[in-house]
Amino acid sequence: MLVLSRRAGESVVLGEDITITVLEVRGDVVRIGIDAPRSLKVHRAELLAQLEESNRSAASPSDDLVAQLSEALGRERD
Amino acid sequence: MAEHHPLEIPVIDMVRPLVGFPGHERFALVQLDGASDLCSLISLDEPGLRFLVVPPAAFFPDYAPEVGDDVVTDLGIESAADVLVLVVLNAGTGLHDTTANLAAPLLVNPVTQKAGQVVLDESGLPVAAPLLG
Repeated sequence: MLVLSRRAGESVVLGEDITITVLEVRGDVVRIGIDAPRSLKVHRAELLAQLEESNRSAASPSDDLVAQLSEALGRERD
Repeated sequence: MAEHHPLEIPVIDMVRPLVGFPGHERFALVQLDGASDLCSLISLDEPGLRFLVVPPAAFFPDYAPEVGDDVVTDLGIESAADVLVLVVLNAGTGLHDTTANLAAPLLVNPVTQKAGQVVLDESGLPVAAPLLG
C-alpha cells in the first residue's frame, strides 16, 4: 500500500481523471472529496461488505422457507 | 391478467452483478405463484443458486430509489417507466423475520433484459428492512 501524508485542502490524483481531496480533518473523522467519472463506482467499503454478507445470506433459501413465505404473502394480500 | 405481468422475463443479463457474486451474469426471473408477487431470481451459471425478490411497492410504498446516469447507461434505460424495481429478500421463517435489502435494489430493464444490483451509497437506506415495518 502506498501511504501519503496530506493536509486538508490537498489532493492526490489517480490515473488520468480521478482526484481525491482531503476536505476536512476533525478528530478521527476525515471528509474526502472524490472527483471521478460517473462510470466509476465509488462505495464505502463497509457497505459493500455488509451487502455481500446480506446477499450471501439471502442466496438459495430452502424450498420450505420459500413455500412458507409465499403462503404468508398470499395471506397478507387477502 | 397474466399476459400483462411485467415479471415474466425469460433470461436477464446481470450487467451489474449482485455484490459478492461477480461472474454470475445470466439469470431467469420467475414468479413463484399467482398469490403473491414473490419471484425467484435463478442463476443460469450456478445450479442451485437463487434469490428471492419482490417488488417493494406493497411493503415500502414510499421507496423510490434514485440512480445515476451510469446505471441508466449500463441497463440501456430509455424510460424510467420501463424499469422494474425489485428488492432482495432474506427469508425468515415467516413474514415477521423476513427482511428486504433497500440499500441495493435490483433494477431490471425488461426492454433490454439487462439488470443490475444498484448500490445506493448515500441513501442511508437499510440493508435489512423488516418486510412488515
